[in-house]
Amino acid sequence: MTVAVLDGGCYYHHDIIYGERFRHCFDRAIYAPDLTDGALEGVKALIVADRISPTILREKRRILHAFLQNGGTLIVLGENQAHTWAPGVEWTFRPTNFWWWLDKDVDPGHRIVEPDHEIFRHVAPKDVIWHFHGLLHPPKGAVPLVTIAPEAGGGPDGTILYDHRGIADGKGRLIVTTLDPFYHTGSYFMPAAQRFLTGLLDWTDAAFRNRKTLSP
Amino acid sequence: MIDALLLDCEQTEGGLNILMKRPDLGSRLDVVNLYGLERTDLSGYRGLLIGLHADQRYLAGRRAQIEAYLARGGTVVFCGHVSYPILPELHPYRPIQNYRVEDLDVSRVCEHPVWAGVDTKDLTWRRGVAGFYGRGFNPPPQGATIIHGLGPDRHPVDFECRPAAGGRLLVHAGADLWGYLEADSSAARIGPQLLDWLRAGIQGGRP
Repeated sequence: MTVAVLDGGCYYHHDIIYGERFRHCFDRAIYAPDLTDGALEGVKALIVADRISPTILREKRRILHAFLQNGGTLIVLGENQAHTWAPGVEWTFRPTNFWWWLDKDVDPGHRIVEPDHEIFRHVAPKDVIWHFHGLLHPPKGAVPLVTIAPEAGGGPDGTILYDHRGIADGKGRLIVTTLDPFYHTGSYFMPAAQRFLTGLLDWTDAAFRNRKTLSP
Repeated sequence: MIDALLLDCEQTEGGLNILMKRPDLGSRLDVVNLYGLERTDLSGYRGLLIGLHADQRYLAGRRAQIEAYLARGGTVVFCGHVSYPILPELHPYRPIQNYRVEDLDVSRVCEHPVWAGVDTKDLTWRRGVAGFYGRGFNPPPQGATIIHGLGPDRHPVDFECRPAAGGRLLVHAGADLWGYLEADSSAARIGPQLLDWLRAGIQGGRP
């Protein structure tokens, strides 16, 4: 029962992974350029922190694919160009609206389309509502969890968080989002991002470490 | 000599794309993937630009190369929060705990060519929101020139120093200084003035 995290070496990775606020949430930290096959032995879920060098992730993709084929759960956070290395991921660029919250009357478009999903027992739906970096287009078999409404520019299938079970020979599970909570929380700037990260890591605690120590 | 080498961190959005596309500025710098630093000869560059998304763990492993560059009279510009000892003058970032708006107020401690004509209000506020410029500081070494402070305690969000290895080191505890090019305020002056300051060199660019 192990949750590992991939560390990109940036200051915000350091703050979240090794700082006192969140370090108890990870059993193992692996510096991405040093990732080897053996490093994932015994790991049940691997969190790919947001904003790791996509060149490094592409170089390591065989190890990440093998992890999925062996039944691992890969949780890929935003701005990792996952569409260039992760199975089934399609993504389109949208200019990021960092300022959506300044106009209280504007609906940013987020829709919780699978409210009964286990992740929402730990993540409050309002905590996924902040700026997002482009749209995912979930492949067949994936379950969209948070979408962006067509009238808010999301198109027919624009998604910012989905869960894809049974990929890579049927045993792997891939959770992908365009949210980048390590960066914002590690930069001490966005309370919603910090609440989302806290909820996400509470879920990985419950789902992959059998721990009940954190509050729901 | 080229004014600057920027270590690219492969971000989808950000000031680098804007900088590269500006005919007046883009020609003044080269860009190389961060992990290509070990294969790069720095001798043709006046400045080395390290941004907030840099893999500092990697750069700490390149300390000898960076110090050799400084020893030849180079200038290193570091933006972001320090986590790893890339240089002996870079100490771990300290966030301002439980900050209030007044703690984020930027004040000028010392005039500096990079910020000439930049109103500190344009650093403190963006679209009526405070805090983009800095929310903490990288503790400066003894003898550093503090340029801007945050809040009533004037936490040193910007400083310049002369590293033990040689050359110059300019440190900003926030987002990339070349990321304000499209600001509709005096903050847009920072990027071009940074390149001018690098070009002026140690003799021409004393604060």
